[in-house]
Amino acid sequence: MQTASNSAIEFHNVTKRFQLRESSLREFLPSFFDKREAAPPFYALRDVSFTLNRGETVGIIGRNGSGKSTALKLIAGVMAPTDGTVLVGGRVSPLIELGAGFHPDLSGRENVHLNGSILGLSDREIDDQFSSIVEFAELQEFIDMPVKRYSSGMYVRLGFAVAVHSNPEILLVDEVLSVGDAFFQDKCQQRMHDFKNRGVTIVLVSHSADTITSFCDRALSLDHGVLVADGPAKQVVDDYMATVPHHVEAS
Amino acid sequence: MLRHLAEFWRRRDLLWHMTVRHLRGQYKQSVLGYAWAFLNPLTLLLTLSFVFSVLLRFPSQGLPYALFVLVGLLPWMFFANGLTTATDSVSGAMNLVTKVYFPREILPMAAINTKIVDLFFGLIILAGLMMIYNHPPTETMLWVPLLFGIQLIFTAGLAFPMAALNVYFHDVRYLVGVVLTMWFYLTPVIYPVEIVPSKYQFIFDLNPMAILVNAYRRVILLDDSPAMDRLLLGLGIAVVTFVVGYFLFKRMEAGFADRI
Repeated sequence: MQTASNSAIEFHNVTKRFQLRESSLREFLPSFFDKREAAPPFYALRDVSFTLNRGETVGIIGRNGSGKSTALKLIAGVMAPTDGTVLVGGRVSPLIELGAGFHPDLSGRENVHLNGSILGLSDREIDDQFSSIVEFAELQEFIDMPVKRYSSGMYVRLGFAVAVHSNPEILLVDEVLSVGDAFFQDKCQQRMHDFKNRGVTIVLVSHSADTITSFCDRALSLDHGVLVADGPAKQVVDDYMATVPHHVEAS
Repeated sequence: MLRHLAEFWRRRDLLWHMTVRHLRGQYKQSVLGYAWAFLNPLTLLLTLSFVFSVLLRFPSQGLPYALFVLVGLLPWMFFANGLTTATDSVSGAMNLVTKVYFPREILPMAAINTKIVDLFFGLIILAGLMMIYNHPPTETMLWVPLLFGIQLIFTAGLAFPMAALNVYFHDVRYLVGVVLTMWFYLTPVIYPVEIVPSKYQFIFDLNPMAILVNAYRRVILLDDSPAMDRLLLGLGIAVVTFVVGYFLFKRMEAGFADRI
């Protein structure tokens, strides 16, 4: 199924239920014959519907366990909904746990190719962008070194650089804007604004009210898997903050 | 199905990079590195030759036993090691599977691909052995790529559902180990199929690995074409296994990331 022409992401009555299951036959077989012992299901999302238009910048806010990450995983196509339909139109690039696909023994150069191809780029596209990726990550001198010798900052910079060069139409961001030193953070923010101006659809998940109000036009608020608010970022975030006790907000 | 295969083909660059990634991980931290890919079949070859040729005097179709057994052993090792590694390939890459979407069948395929490198080292031993026994290559060896293609399809067809099931039940990898041990003795690797009494012959008629091992021997050592009816049967079984295995894999794929 396709999304409507002006929408990038559509959730139609999406429910995601997790059944806590057994990971070995020893546990599975008894529960298979004796249904009474089955653990109660856990609902990460309940009957959630929304449509994100192309070029919109949308924040998803909510407490831990509210279903934010599950929503991102459904958009990324990593998970399938239990009920309902998720439609996504366009190339998705997840900025979720940068460098997840890196192999410690491979060099930075080889990992750029590996990670780029995981994100859906062909070798040709990667070659074309290679120098720009390395320059963005500021790793010119270290690019032929195995990434296991990289500092955690270098690791994340390279992951971010590959992801932002993957020419995404939909960018999923999960609390990664706080990587690297202040200088690199500025560069990331700048790059995100470039994407925004170019009409890339951006979905940003955060606990931080400031990040969402400063960057997003619109926000969705999730509470225990239920969509409780959907509207202009400032308004949704203010309503959300009103429900959070102040000592929690400070942390 | 065709849509999935087209998507898989479009992402062939990723298959290549994943294969390299596996290869780098395979013998790292070991002092001898890739020498193991050489030592592994060599020690097995010497042991099997000693036990079954010197001690037990197995018949070997009039061929030197070492040559006879190696031509069966190399495709068998490729099959068994490929299936074993592929079974763990998805469950061993969960950190990736839960974060980014890509066609998941790339993981078992890349795992199988890495065993082609091991097979290459084995072929060097085979070439050496053929020189020692003064057994020159023949034109019928041109059948080998076709036989290998059938073997690859069959191996992948079995690896897909095993890799998918192993995400849900880690018992699957042990099950695969047990079945492969049985399967090894029911495939004419260390003995010629001629010694099998006719009432048990059906086991070998329906075992694609037996069909393939027999065919490899004929085209590499006996200067003969493969038995056509057997070969077509083997091809048929391989294609059906692949179609069913791939279908099952794609059905189970959507639930992979739910397993945390």
